[in-house]
Amino acid sequence: MASTIDTPIAGRHVSTRPAGGLGLNRYQNVFTAFVVAAGGYLLGHYIGNVIGSGYVSVQGGGQNDVAIVLALTFGALGWLLGIGALNYPLAKLVGASPEYPPTEGGWMRYFRFSLDHKVVGMQYVIATLLFLFTGGLLAMAIRTELLNPTIHVLGPGTYIAVVGEHGTIMMMMASSLVIGPLGNWLVPLMIGSRRMAFPRVEAFSLWLFTAGYMVILTALPMGGFPTGWTGYAPLQTQAGGGMDSYLVGFAIIGTGMVLAGFNLAATIVTCRAPGMTWGRLPIFVWSVLATAALLVFATPTLICAGLFGILDRTAQTAFYVNEHGGSSFLWENLFWFFGHPEVYIMALPGFGMVGEMLPVFTGKQLFGYKVGAAGMIGVALLSFFVWQHHLFQSGINPDMRPLFMLTTELISIPTGFIFLVGLGTLWKARMRMEPPMLFCLALYFNFLIGGITGVFLSDVPVNVTVHGSFFVLAHFHYTIMGGLVFAFFGGLYYWLPKMTGKTLNRKLSLAHFWVMFIFFNLTFFPLLIVGLLGQPRRVFEYAQRLQPLNDFASVSAYILGASFLIFIANFVWSIWIDPKPAPTNPWGSRGLEWQVPTPVPAYNFEHIPVIVSDPYLYGVPDAPPVADFGGASSPAYAAALAGDTAGDGAARSE
Amino acid sequence: MATQTTYQSTPEEAAYEQRAAESALWIGSRFLIGIGAFVYASLAFAYFYLRSANNLDFWRPNHVTAPTALGAAIFALTAATFACIAYGQYRFRRGEAADLAVAGWTAVLLGALAIGLQIYELTRLPFYPGSSGYASCFVGWGAINIAGLVLSVYWIETLLARGHRVKHEVAGDGGLVRSGLPVARLFRANLEGATYVMGFMTLASLFFWVFFYLV
Repeated sequence: MASTIDTPIAGRHVSTRPAGGLGLNRYQNVFTAFVVAAGGYLLGHYIGNVIGSGYVSVQGGGQNDVAIVLALTFGALGWLLGIGALNYPLAKLVGASPEYPPTEGGWMRYFRFSLDHKVVGMQYVIATLLFLFTGGLLAMAIRTELLNPTIHVLGPGTYIAVVGEHGTIMMMMASSLVIGPLGNWLVPLMIGSRRMAFPRVEAFSLWLFTAGYMVILTALPMGGFPTGWTGYAPLQTQAGGGMDSYLVGFAIIGTGMVLAGFNLAATIVTCRAPGMTWGRLPIFVWSVLATAALLVFATPTLICAGLFGILDRTAQTAFYVNEHGGSSFLWENLFWFFGHPEVYIMALPGFGMVGEMLPVFTGKQLFGYKVGAAGMIGVALLSFFVWQHHLFQSGINPDMRPLFMLTTELISIPTGFIFLVGLGTLWKARMRMEPPMLFCLALYFNFLIGGITGVFLSDVPVNVTVHGSFFVLAHFHYTIMGGLVFAFFGGLYYWLPKMTGKTLNRKLSLAHFWVMFIFFNLTFFPLLIVGLLGQPRRVFEYAQRLQPLNDFASVSAYILGASFLIFIANFVWSIWIDPKPAPTNPWGSRGLEWQVPTPVPAYNFEHIPVIVSDPYLYGVPDAPPVADFGGASSPAYAAALAGDTAGDGAARSE
Repeated sequence: MATQTTYQSTPEEAAYEQRAAESALWIGSRFLIGIGAFVYASLAFAYFYLRSANNLDFWRPNHVTAPTALGAAIFALTAATFACIAYGQYRFRRGEAADLAVAGWTAVLLGALAIGLQIYELTRLPFYPGSSGYASCFVGWGAINIAGLVLSVYWIETLLARGHRVKHEVAGDGGLVRSGLPVARLFRANLEGATYVMGFMTLASLFFWVFFYLV
C-alpha cells in the first residue's frame, strides 16, 4: 500500500476544514431530546392557543385542534432538535462542514444521534420491539374485553380507542420492522459497502420513527380515535383530539418511511462493491430494494392524505366533508393507495430474510434466485394497482369491481413465485432445525393460510360476505404476524450473534419458537371461524354462542403474549447475564456480512471487498469464496477497483 | 473510551467511494423528484376526484378563483428561481463560478419571495377554506407548495453557502469548477441535483397554476 487516506467514519472525505458545527453532539442524547420535545410541545400548544382561540369552531366546539396539532408538531421538532438530528441541517445554512458524532462511546451511543448504520440498526431493533410490545399489551386488553360478550372491562369507547391504538401502532411498527433494524444494519455489509449513501437521512428516519411513536401514544390520554387504524372519514373529521395524534403521527412516521426507503434504495444502487452485480445481489437486498421503492413512491400519498385530514380539522377545509364539496371516499382512495402497498412493504422483506436463511440451513443453493427477485419486483409493481379492492363495498363503481378483483388475483402470481422459491429450496433438503430455520418454516405454514384466505377475500362475493368481520382480521394477522413477525424473529436469532457478538441461549430460543408458533395458530385460527360465523371487527359485544371460541382465542393470546417474554428473558440472559461470545460465522453462511470480524468494525471492511462469486453456492464442491478481501496485496484487487472508471461507482461495476 | 473518527483507504478505494457518493447524489435527486411526483399526484387526484364527484354542486360554486395576480406572481417567481439557478449552472459549467454565485443568490431571493407571496395569498383568499372542493384543494396546494419551495430554496442556499466556505480550499486546484478534490466534485453533483429538482418544482407549479387559476 503506497499511501492511505483518512476518511471520516460514516462520512465522506470532503473538506480539509474543521467541522463547522458547535460540537453539541457529545452533549445530546435522548434525555436532552425529551426535555426539548417537552418545551416544543408547550410552545406549540401556546402558539396554537393564540392562533386558534378566536376561531368560531374552537369556541363552539371547545376543542382546539390547531393547538393540539402544533403542540405535537413542535414536540416532534423539539425531539429532533434535542437529539441532534437538526444540528447539521441548521449549520449547513451558513455553509458549515459536516460534523461527525462520536462513533464509539459504550452503551450511551445507542441513546444518541449516530451515523453508524450498525448503531442505527440496533436503535431500530429496540424501537421496533418497543412498538411491538406496546401494541401487544393493547392486544391483551382487547382479548380481555372479548372474554365475555356481556360483562365488560373497557366499555365501548375505550375498547375502540384501544383497538385503534393497537392497529395503528402495529402497522407503523410493522412497516419498519425489517427495513429499519435489519435493513439498515445489514444492507451495507451485504453489498460490500463501508457506509450508507445518506447516513444522516438514515439516522433522521429513526428519530422520526421514535417521535411518531410518542405522538401516536398521546392519542390515548385524549380519548383515542374511534376510526381504527384506517382512519376513515367522516368519523375522522368528527372525532376528538386523539384523531390529531393519529394524523400527525402517521404523517411523521410516513416521512420517516420515505426517508428510510430513499436512503436504502440509493445505497443499494450506488454503493455496491465491485463485482456485486445485480445477479449476485443477496435476495434479502432485492427484497429491501423492492420495499424501498414502495416506501419512496407509495408513502407520499399517505402523508398527503394525512395533511388533508389535518387541514380539515384545523384550517377547516373540506377534503373529506361531503356536504362542502369534499368526499369521504377521497380518504379511502388515498389511504389505500398507500395502504395496500403497505402490505407488501411488510411482507417482502420477510420473504427476503427467509430466502437468505433457507440456503444456509438446507445446505442447498437458493432455488430460482432470479424468479424470486423478479417476483419481488412484480409484487412491488402490481401492488400499486389493487387498492380499490378495499372499496368493494363502498365508493367504487360496481362495474370496476371485476378489474380490481383481477389485479388482486394477479398479484398472487409473483407472490407464488416467491413462495415457490422457498419450497424449491426446501425440496429434498437435509435441514438443520436451528431456531432461525424453524421460524422460516413457520412463515411458510402461516403465510399459506394467510395467502389462501387472501385469495378468497379478493373475490367480490366472498369479500362482500365477510367484509368487516373477524375473518378479515384473522387473515391479515396470518399474513403480517404469521409472516413478517415470524420472519423478523427468525432474522433476529440468525443475525443477533453477528450484531451483538453474543450467542443466544438455544433452549430458550426453541421454547420461544414453539410457544409462539403453537399459540399464534391457536389464537388466530379460531378467529377465522368466528369471522365466518358473523362476528364483526371493532365491536365490543358479540353473540353469546361465540363465547367459547373467543375465550379459547383469548387464553391462547395470553400465552402467545407470554412467548415474547421468553424472547426478552433470552435476550437479557444471553447478552448481559451470561454472555457467551459468538463465533464469527456460527451458521456457516457464505453471506458477505458473515465474513467480517465480530464485533463488526465501525468501517465494516478494512478494504472494500471485490465480489468474485455467487452468494448461494451451498453444496457446490470447490465453490470459490464469495469475495476477495485481499486489499492491495491481491493482484486482482486494485485492478478491479481501478477498473470502475466510469464515474458512477458501483452502478457501473457490472 | 477512545473515539475512532477515521478509517484508512487506499487511493483506489477513496476514489471508488467518491464516485459512489457522487452517484448517490445523482440518483438521490431523481428519487426526490419521484417522491415529489407522488405528492403532487396525490393532490392532483384529490383535485380531479372532487371535481368529478362535484358533491352537492359544491366543487366550485360561482366559479370562485384564488387571486389571479398573486397566483401569476408566485408562478413567475418560481419559474424565475429555476431560470436563475439553471442559468447559474450553465455559466458555472463554462467556468464562471462568480456568475453562479450571483444567479444562485438571486434564485434564493426570488424563491423566498415566492414563499412569502404564497403565505400572503393564503391569508387573502376570497373564499372560506371549507366552502368548496376547489377551496379545499387550493389550500392544500398552498401548504404543499410552501413546503416544496422551502426545501428547494434551502437546498440551493446551503449549496451556495457551502461553496462560498470552501472556495479557498479548492482555489489552487482549479476552483469549484474544475477541481478534482472531493469537496468540489460533490458540489458539482449537488448543484446538478438541485437544478433538476427546482426544474421539477417549476413544472408542478405550472400544472397547478393552470388548473387552479386558468381552468
